[in-house]
Amino acid sequence: MSVSPGTRTAAAKGQVDLASWFARYGTIVSLVVLLIYFSIARFDVFPTVNNLLNIMNQISILGTMAFGLTVCLVMGLFDLSIAAMATLGGYAATLLLVRYPDSINVPVAVSASLLICAAIGVINGLIVSYLGISAFIATLATGSIITGAVLGISGSETLITGIPDAFMAIGQGTIFGVANPILIMLAIGFVLWLLLEHTQVGRHLYAIGGSAEASRLSGIAVKQYAPFALAICAACAGLGGLMAAAVLGAGRPQGVGDTYLLNAFAAVFIGASTLRPGKFHILGTLIGALLIGVINNGLSVMGVPTYWQYIVQGVLLVLALFSAGVLAVRRS
Amino acid sequence: MPNTGVPPAPKGSAGAARARAGDPETFLEVERLVKQFPGTLALDHVDLKIRCGEIHALLGENGAGKSTLIRAICGASQPTEGRILVNGVEAILASPHEAAALGIAVVHQHFNLVPQISVAENLLLSESMPKRAGIFVDWRAMQRRARLLLERVGLQIDPRMEVANLRPDESAMVAIAKAIGSEARLIILDEPTSALLPAEVSVLFRHMRRLAADGHSFLYVSHRLSEVFEIADRVTVLRDGRNAGSWTRDHLSRRAIIQAIVGGDKSLQEDIGHSDFAPGEVLLAAHELSGGHVAKLSFEARAHEIVGFAGLPGSGAEEALDLMFGRHMTSAGRLTLDGRDVVFRSPRDAKRAGLALVPKDRHAESLLPGASVRENISLPNLSRFVTDPVVRFIHRGRERAEARQVAERLAIKTASIESPITSLSGGNQQKAILGRWLASGAKVFMLNSPTAAVDIGAKAEIYTLIRQIAEIGAAVIFTSTEVEEFPRICHRVLVFRDGQIVGELIGKDATDASILHLASGGGDER
Repeated sequence: MSVSPGTRTAAAKGQVDLASWFARYGTIVSLVVLLIYFSIARFDVFPTVNNLLNIMNQISILGTMAFGLTVCLVMGLFDLSIAAMATLGGYAATLLLVRYPDSINVPVAVSASLLICAAIGVINGLIVSYLGISAFIATLATGSIITGAVLGISGSETLITGIPDAFMAIGQGTIFGVANPILIMLAIGFVLWLLLEHTQVGRHLYAIGGSAEASRLSGIAVKQYAPFALAICAACAGLGGLMAAAVLGAGRPQGVGDTYLLNAFAAVFIGASTLRPGKFHILGTLIGALLIGVINNGLSVMGVPTYWQYIVQGVLLVLALFSAGVLAVRRS
Repeated sequence: MPNTGVPPAPKGSAGAARARAGDPETFLEVERLVKQFPGTLALDHVDLKIRCGEIHALLGENGAGKSTLIRAICGASQPTEGRILVNGVEAILASPHEAAALGIAVVHQHFNLVPQISVAENLLLSESMPKRAGIFVDWRAMQRRARLLLERVGLQIDPRMEVANLRPDESAMVAIAKAIGSEARLIILDEPTSALLPAEVSVLFRHMRRLAADGHSFLYVSHRLSEVFEIADRVTVLRDGRNAGSWTRDHLSRRAIIQAIVGGDKSLQEDIGHSDFAPGEVLLAAHELSGGHVAKLSFEARAHEIVGFAGLPGSGAEEALDLMFGRHMTSAGRLTLDGRDVVFRSPRDAKRAGLALVPKDRHAESLLPGASVRENISLPNLSRFVTDPVVRFIHRGRERAEARQVAERLAIKTASIESPITSLSGGNQQKAILGRWLASGAKVFMLNSPTAAVDIGAKAEIYTLIRQIAEIGAAVIFTSTEVEEFPRICHRVLVFRDGQIVGELIGKDATDASILHLASGGGDER
């Protein structure tokens, strides 16, 4: 298109509007386009109720972990320990159940496992708030410590025998035909959405993420929020790992969370380029996780080799961050 | 479009005979420049002429078009209409690179230097560094080149020093040296003195005059009128994107320039009425309070009173506010509020007791940049909208109603309280910050430079607002880096030097001159 001086301003305005529209709705449009494309390409397999529930089920662990991650990213903290935390969450629960089959039932094991994860999250937060170490480095370090500790305690052995059915039901059971992991993810998402959008704590988390100093001078106890946010993130990561263990029916001492680390960050950052560009939020994270899930599922029902999933996800992440970044630049 | 091809008729008599097109005395000429943004006409047929060796001040409120004009001159954006001539030849400045090649350089407010590396490295950042064997940096050659550049601006510092360790005036001169190193003929200075002490400003001005005598031109943007009167050979004022007047040095008039800046309908409110003021009971009192750089601070602030804490930067006037608000640790002494002893271990304690601090750096310390006007206003007040004591849900409707009320009461100009705070002008942003604390019901307001980077019209509104805060019964403690503000709004001024109060000036005794006299080491008048 040629731009003559007369139409220059109109064209520039159009570009800005298009860019901001794309930054807001681009991910949703891509999601819809992909859904339509896969539905047409594999109309026999893809657009069935079973497959769509299957996609939801496939992203439930990712979604749960990404929701937790959203809470700490809102206040500007990167939690890199979620991979190790997921492994710990799954292993700790199964270990308690296998080792003390008579005295510990499933609810106790689940609660204990999540409490352990949350406690480590609190430690992460205390390191960040009171030792002044950046969350990025602190959680990298504690992640390494957790990985080592779990490997040491387990002797690198996977727990398979003696896991009660009640535990496996967490990952494999259904309520009214909907898999439990989906319900768990949606419940966690709803609670954290309420927390971030409608409570004072959530508003303070956003405020601290916006400007820690302005928040401090407004009387917010800034240092108390890092332990809180990182504990929530850790508990969600632990819950994700626990769901993975329940799906598998095994307590693996390594590698459970690693597959989710990049995807969880991708989902949250894709979410930050959706609807409210530049802001982390739960609904956005859900859309980010769905987008990843649809791509992975769609590519595999199309028979595309698995390695393409990694490549497509990487490209997608760059595109999402680019579109969010473009808008942020234009706004300033 | 103006008729191109015909050079403007030479105006001076001296260069009329020269063969070169245009006036040889003129380095840069801006003709009928128009810049159209979506929805706004940022520049409306603006003219500007900068002569060789001239220090030309560009004035105007925020939003008057100064930065748009500068961006056009330095090639950062393209005008919609009109033309720019450099040395009498029409120049297409498609990028800052092309502007630099024609000898136009910009020195921004923060001097575009990298603080962590040496002066020499900064100076040679944009040129290719001298090398040995084509790979390794030749440090000695680099020092030599840097020394040469520093000599040309008359600055005597070691080029190996880190820029972070320089005084602000030295940084400014290094930035200018860098511009000259790239053979700049016109140096655009965008608020160069905002971080400088008065003594440093005069050093900078001395250097500028010398460079101007060598034929370098300066386009000088500042909010500080007194400096403009001191340095400018010529003044151009923009208002609403149009030329609002131009004066040569001999014809400068403060009143005329202020009129041109603010426009005919708005007149500057001058002094506070010192007469009808009845102080109430003592609200905040310090008794030999010490901490950090502040030593043995004793004073009382009463209801309805506006107390000024004046002093040069580093005198302790600003630090005293931070100390009382719990930002710094108190090492000795007492603070009382309503006659009771109070100890603030953090800003949180101070806020809960009913103190408010508006810090100096709006962007770094008080705004929530990504948030809406509403969220910025309700930041310290969220607990009042909580519906239950456990989950602490926020009642969004009550929050909105209050934010709307504050925005109306303070006449904050915004499309909606849900608009991003960054879409507001500086003055309206600051009103939202003051509104935040008004809504909190604070009893003591501590304001550090509340009119910094706010245009003149909005300044008057903020002064009025501060007076209203005092009238409704709060005590206001005010400090600023601009001395002329104290006489205009304070009932009483305490002057700080070296962390201590060295004098007290009441009512009409507090003048720019008397404050500066005390602050810079004159006799003790307390």
